[in-house]
Amino acid sequence: MIVERENPTTASADGLYVYCVARGDGPCLLGAIGLEGKTVYGVAAGGIRAVVHDCRPEPYQSQDPHVLKGWLASHQDVVSAATQAFGTVLPMAFDMIVRGDAQTGTLAAMKGWLEQNRERFTRLLDRLASKAEYGVQVLWDRAVIAAALVEGRAPLRALRDEAMSKPRGLAHLLQQKLAKATREALEMQAQAFAQDFYARIRGCVDDVRVEPLKKGDGPGQMLLNLSCLMPEGERELGDVLDAIQALEGVTVRFTGPWPPYSFVGA
Amino acid sequence: MEPELPQSYRRATLVDLLDRVLDRGLFLRADIVIAVAGIPLIGATLSLAVAGTDTMLKYGILSDWDEAIRAVPPPQRQSLLAEPSGTRTA
Repeated sequence: MIVERENPTTASADGLYVYCVARGDGPCLLGAIGLEGKTVYGVAAGGIRAVVHDCRPEPYQSQDPHVLKGWLASHQDVVSAATQAFGTVLPMAFDMIVRGDAQTGTLAAMKGWLEQNRERFTRLLDRLASKAEYGVQVLWDRAVIAAALVEGRAPLRALRDEAMSKPRGLAHLLQQKLAKATREALEMQAQAFAQDFYARIRGCVDDVRVEPLKKGDGPGQMLLNLSCLMPEGERELGDVLDAIQALEGVTVRFTGPWPPYSFVGA
Repeated sequence: MEPELPQSYRRATLVDLLDRVLDRGLFLRADIVIAVAGIPLIGATLSLAVAGTDTMLKYGILSDWDEAIRAVPPPQRQSLLAEPSGTRTA
């Protein structure tokens, strides 16, 4: 709930922790929802508003994972609350703190930044209006795929059957040969899958960022890691993901809607 | 009818949030920001903290696509790999 009233803060805060940028004019208050219960409010200039809290001019640092998780969760909660209150927002990375210098106060530095970037922010806000980010990660189970490949491709199947019918020494050699051929087939299949899945997903969303592949804790190996931008509630992606997920040995992880963290960069 | 969906794609983890909040999002110009230097440290600390865990968040950002973008149960799993297609070169 936003309250239109004077900011509860002095104009002389030493630092301003910035959560996100949104459209808007005039003061507003989002309440004590910030990191460690800080009061979150808006600083506006030229029709663009930064959602901030007052802080000391030093980074948030801790060695305590619980504290850090709490901060990150609060950051995300405030960005979500701002999205509810103002519509589309440009989320900041964690720990972005503005301070002024001797000549320019912190509040003036904040407003100056908004004014200088007004055109860029307006363009971004227009482009992202009514859209959300979704995370799509495609993983596969190498063992399952490998078994299917061997079963499905005559040369590999022949190698396997031959290995089973030979005496131990020769069988071992043939199995090594099979293992190498299977690895190569897996590499090819991984590339083919990644290209195909990317093309299908790209075809039904507004924009895509290809993110680095990650090593997971689970059995699955990641083939594709995408951030997708599309209108909230757009259904076509679901059909595409169902079709991918329906492939034996292939799993899709889907998260969202997220604020468009991956689509506000240069 | 509520389809049974694999846990693996039902939940956003802290890692999903970390990826976004630490590495992406808007950054401030260097001359008015003070905190950029702290980010790698926080990322490293947290990555260690969450290694091996699958921490579920509760912010309404975790969902499967049926919940998130539509309400149709997924089709039956099928094997499209078992037999090579006619166009595939041997």
